[in-house]
Formats: sequence, structure tokens, C-alpha cells
Amino acid sequence: MTGSRSPFPRFLSDGSFRPVMVGGCIAAFIMVLSPLAAIIWVSFFENKIISFPPTGYSFDWYRAAAAMPQFRDGFFTSLELGVVATLVSLIVGVPAALVLARGRFPGREAIQSLLLAPLIVPGIVAGAALYMFLIEVELASGVQVAMTFTGLAIAHSLIALPWTVRLVTASLVGLDPQLKEAALTMGAREFTAFRLVTWPLIRPGVVAGALFAFIASFVDLEKSLFLVGPGMTTLPIVIVNYLEWSIDPTIAAVATVQIAIISAGLVLTDRYFKLARAF
Amino acid sequence: MSALATTGEGSLTGGRPAPGGTDRRRRRSTAGWLLFPSLTLVLAGLILPLALMARTSVAHFDAASPDLVGFTLENYARFFGEPFYLMILARTLLVALSCTAICLVLGVPAAFVISRVESRTLKTALILATIIPLLMGNAVRAAGWMVLLADKGLINSALLSAGLIAEPVRILYTGSAVVIGLIAVLLPFMVISLESVFENIGTAYEEAAQTMGAPPWTAFFRVTLPLAMPGVFSGCLLCFVLAMNAYATPVLIGGPSFQMMAPKVFEQAIKVYNWPFAATIALVLMAVTLVLSVASSLALQKRYGVL
Repeated sequence: MTGSRSPFPRFLSDGSFRPVMVGGCIAAFIMVLSPLAAIIWVSFFENKIISFPPTGYSFDWYRAAAAMPQFRDGFFTSLELGVVATLVSLIVGVPAALVLARGRFPGREAIQSLLLAPLIVPGIVAGAALYMFLIEVELASGVQVAMTFTGLAIAHSLIALPWTVRLVTASLVGLDPQLKEAALTMGAREFTAFRLVTWPLIRPGVVAGALFAFIASFVDLEKSLFLVGPGMTTLPIVIVNYLEWSIDPTIAAVATVQIAIISAGLVLTDRYFKLARAF
Repeated sequence: MSALATTGEGSLTGGRPAPGGTDRRRRRSTAGWLLFPSLTLVLAGLILPLALMARTSVAHFDAASPDLVGFTLENYARFFGEPFYLMILARTLLVALSCTAICLVLGVPAAFVISRVESRTLKTALILATIIPLLMGNAVRAAGWMVLLADKGLINSALLSAGLIAEPVRILYTGSAVVIGLIAVLLPFMVISLESVFENIGTAYEEAAQTMGAPPWTAFFRVTLPLAMPGVFSGCLLCFVLAMNAYATPVLIGGPSFQMMAPKVFEQAIKVYNWPFAATIALVLMAVTLVLSVASSLALQKRYGVL
């Protein structure tokens, strides 16, 4: 049973231990991957009413989905929001990460928890609270923010922020601050030292942080629910609204496009920054 | 750059002497400016709104006016006084606990196998296969389960054509569908939390236990798993919190009759316009989740030491 080609160390390959463990692992992956596999499969079905086995296969539903304005608008709104949220989270998050990575100082834990809090507060609660707050702001100032792009952008920047803070901090942990001090001692200006010393070191973290931030914003559903309005809806919410009425190959095609974009983004990220380090 | 790291307890800075006083003060004010934008965003976008929500939850509901009026506990009295809402809370707790338990049973073998795979390529592939679904978004996954679990879905079609059942079995729009859907959502979080822990423990202890004659199961349950308890706990906590707050999965694959807490918040706010009561449900949900998390971590700390 313990051939030399087994991918496991020899001592774990006796008796029922390995089959049970590997079986549990396979069951876990089936559980996680089967809904994604199912929706990808169905998107190529020929028949409009989903039935198994399919009568044939076609690409028509991708064309049909692309032609439906609600999916197109939702897609571009989500794309724009993702880009804006990522940029905001980088602009405010990278400086914060630079401070946090300096090590321990009074209040560091509190500041870090505060910056990561958007990850912990449930999306639906945070979304509802932000909506109420923006309505109060509107009542006080007369400027409408809820149900506009600005309101969504605030919510999505908050979704994105913990990821950039966390990943940039992670890429700085273990970084020796004396490196930059050495550059400063040798006469480099603050900005030059940042550009030539700190930036190359944090670049993988910034790239990974940006990609995670974008994805977290792009797929968000709960936090956006309250803040979307007529003509200003994100793709996941369009998908959910459609699913409440029907499930057909068109929505499967939309979902498959989302799966493809996110998988490509993550596989790309993994080349710069080991994904497992992000959690 | 290190002026703020005077204690240097972590591995970040070591115990280097702090620079002079003026320099330190200058660095401190730089730090303030660097932190200011992000803290403002979180305060304005999250903390103040949550404070307003707490205020709203003790306001009197008046359908005619959106203004916050009065201080009253009537919303909380209503929630805890009506069996209907207590049932929803109990159901949410039950779903969250069963999902967490099943995620643990499936997540431990998966994480252990990933951490012990010796091929680099296979390990990277398995980690990617865990993380990609984790960031896929709930709408897409719910759609997948609808295709699989519907009356004419893949599972029923397969069982019918295999002759195992005569009538389609109702799975979609039941509690089991919600539990299945949530497990698929939460399992990657459990696997990722546990994988790194098993990875860090390494194989030396297992090898030592086995050298001394322990069979693999004994070595695993008496040596490896106890060492992994902090990871097991944080994985369970994460699953529990996320399950308590689940929205998309119960709405889409639980259907209208299987009600949970997070969808109720949305319903009260957007469909009934009763914002005070929506705020109350949201705060009860957060409070119950928080109290149970803290209580369980204290209980486990007593049993296993610092986690």
C-alpha cells in the first residue's frame, strides 16, 4: 500500500488512515466545486429549460446574455466600482499598512482591528447601517448619496480596504526597517528611499492586495443590497434578482463569465504572491 | 522609520535604540497623517453608521415619518416577546452550528491532506481549488446549487434515471438545501484556516509518535489534532459567524418559508420600512454572534490554554 510513488510520507500510509483522510478530502472538494462545475456545464446547454441530459450544446446563451442590458450595465457598474474601490483602498490603505508594519506602538492593535473591522462586521448589517447613515446625511445636507455611485463607492472602498491593509502589511512583516534607514543615511531623500527600497519590497503585497480588493468588491452582494438604486445596480445583485424568478442557461452564462474572470485574476495573483498567505 | 517601534517585542524591529526625541515626535506626526485617511474612511463609513443603527434600534417606529423619535425598548421587547422571531433566531443558530460541525468533519481531512502532500504542483493546485471558490461570490454558487438540487435538477434526474426514486425528492427550498449550500460556502474558510496550522506543526511530532509505536489514527488524534486546536477553533469561529450572517444562500435556496436572521433585516428595512425593528434584528444578530464567540473562546481557553 505504500508504494514509493505515493505523494504522502510513508508513515501516514498505513491501514485505514490514508483512505479515510483522502476520502474526506475528495468529499470536501466535491462539495465546494460541484456548484461551480454545474453552472459552467449548464451554460453550454442548447435547451432553454434546463433538463438533464441536455438535448445538445451551444454558445448562444453567452451572446444572449451579452445582449441583455441589465447584465451589461451590471457588469460595467461592478467593474467601475471595483476599480474605484481598489484605487481608494490603495491610496488610503498602503500608507496605513506602512505605519502598521513598523512594529509595536501604543494603540497599534486597536488601529489594526479598526482597519480590519469591515471584514468582520456582517455585510448586511454594515450595508443597512451605511444606508441609514447616508439617508441622515441627505436629510441634513440635501445631497443624495444613497442609491448613487458615490454611496456604492464608499461601501466598496470599505470592502476593499482590509485586503490591501492586510496584504501590504503581510508583505512588510520581516522587512528590516534598517534597509530604508541605510538609504536615508547615505543621503537618499525620503521619496527616493521609498521608491528604490521600500516599493520593490512591498510591490507583491500591493499587487495581491489590489487584486483581492477588486475581487472582494466585484463579488459583493450583501453590503451593496441596500445601496443600489434604479439604474445603478451591481452584477451580483442583477444575478440574484434574476435567480429569484428563474434559472436558465442565460444566467448560467453570466455566472460562468464571472467565474472565469475571478479564477484568472486569482491564478495570476498566485504567481506574484502565494494566495495561502492572504488568509 | 522605526521610531514607533520602541518596544520591539516582535521580530519586526529587534531591540534597537530609539532615535532622539524631536525625531521621534516628527515621525509620530507623519504616522498620524499616514493613518488619517484610512481611519476616517472606517469611522465615517462603518463606525458612525453602526452607532446610528444602535440609536435607531431604540427609536419608536412611526410609519408616517422617517425621523428618529423617542427612546424605547419596544423593538427589543417585540423581538424577544414574539415566538416567531425567537424561532428565526433559534433556526439561524441551529443552521450555523450544524454547518460548522459538518465543515469541521470535512475540513480536517481536506486541510490535513493538502498540508501533507509532497508534490509542490499538486499542493498549489489544491490550494487554488480551495481559494478560488472562496472568493467566487455567493450569487454564482447559489445558482449552481439551484441547478443541482431543483426538482428537475441534476441530482433528481440522475436518481430518477437510475431508478432509485420514483418521484423527484424535494431538496431545493428546504432547510437541508440551505445547510448544503452554506457548507459549500464555508468549507474553504475552514480548510484554509486549518491548512496553515497543520503545515506549521510539521511532521516531526507525528513521526515521533509513530516511531514510538502509535498507529496513524492515534498519532493524529492524540498528537497532531491537539496541537492544531487554535486553528480548529478559529476555523470553527469563522464558519459560525459567517453562517449566522448568511444572506444570499438562505434567500435563494432556502426559499420564502425558510427564514433566517440576515434576510429578515433586509425584509423589515426595505419591504416593511420598519427601520427601528430592522436595526434591532441586526443588533440582536451581532450581539448573539459576539457573545457566543467570546464565551466559546473563554471556555476553550480554560481547557487548552491561550489560543
